[in-house]
Amino acid sequence: MALATQRVDVPVIVDESKCLEKCTACIEVCPLDVLVKNPETGKAYMKYDECWFCLPCEKECPTNAITVQIPFLLR
Amino acid sequence: MTYSDLDPEVVQWVEMLQSPDLNDRLVAAKTLQHLGDEDTIESLIVALKDDSPKVQEIAVMALWEMANPVAIPPLLACLSAAHEESVRVEALSALKEMVSPDDLLTLLDAVQIEDETVQLNVLILLRKIHDAQALPYIAPFFESENPVLREAAVVTLRYLNQVVRFEPALALANDESEEVRRSAILTLGHLSDEAAVPTLCSALITDADWQVRRNAAQAVDLHATKDAIPALTSALNDDHWQVRKFTARALQRVADDTAIPSLVKALSDEYSDVRRDAAIALGNLGNPDVLSALKQTLDDPDRDVQIFSGRAIQKIQDKLAETTNA
Repeated sequence: MALATQRVDVPVIVDESKCLEKCTACIEVCPLDVLVKNPETGKAYMKYDECWFCLPCEKECPTNAITVQIPFLLR
Repeated sequence: MTYSDLDPEVVQWVEMLQSPDLNDRLVAAKTLQHLGDEDTIESLIVALKDDSPKVQEIAVMALWEMANPVAIPPLLACLSAAHEESVRVEALSALKEMVSPDDLLTLLDAVQIEDETVQLNVLILLRKIHDAQALPYIAPFFESENPVLREAAVVTLRYLNQVVRFEPALALANDESEEVRRSAILTLGHLSDEAAVPTLCSALITDADWQVRRNAAQAVDLHATKDAIPALTSALNDDHWQVRKFTARALQRVADDTAIPSLVKALSDEYSDVRRDAAIALGNLGNPDVLSALKQTLDDPDRDVQIFSGRAIQKIQDKLAETTNA
């Protein structure tokens, strides 16, 4: 799996101002296990640039901090 | 249930659900939803009264996923106007899946609460129970000042088993609100009360709203009574194509020879659906006089019309051959 080096380009965008440090809902529901917590900030981010665009992370986030950018051809 | 009875993994989340910090409560509610432990139902029911609508919403979803009937009365309380709309919508969806005939009395108690939002939602839920015992509780809503409640009540009536006639529903066929009239007319179609047919025929011809007239045509179709033929024949000249379409469809079941001129005229209607349904109705009548008119529609621009005209012609010719052979 390719490491996502530029976090702004990955499909799963986490609004760090809304992300809750104790919450792991998105990480638990991701079928590809590509979301992790940043140990420094405690916020979630997309570590691996692999995504099925299945959306549970966006749906399950209790603060609506996650936006999944679905490619135009998949919409 | 005390904390000592709970799974140690769950205890910290149940405690966090009572935290003064909103973020903690959100995390706790979400985690409890994911864990889905039946022992946490009481805590989640308490969370339905949380200050934050978001926590309430997550608690509703968690209880919905557990689908334990214990949660039904607290979820019914979430339908009140005191809760945010997002919570009410979620609670209604949950209840739609959770209520069963055993919950009838709970619902009948709830429908008497003086809160129009609760009443409206419970009327919707009663449609799932289909129990005629609900009728006396629904009846007062037929005279409600709120048209939304009148409409919900008349739609709910449609779902009750064993109800054949109900006078107040007839009165709603002339209600001032179009939405109420549309639903009332359809309900009158579903009740097998022959006394409703004159009201339906009158609505089919005279109502100002085309959707009411269309629903009247559908309702008359459900009754399938010969008394409606004059009204149906007249409605074939309606301004709106959907009224003409459903009228032609109703005539497929009950027409007699008096409807032939109007049906033949409908074969050249602007809309193909009307032409097709008129062709089917003429085929069902089996009168050989309409064969020449039907043959002209064999080269109709619409393929559907061509096919059904062909079948109608075949049907009439088969019938003719049978009579000749006999």
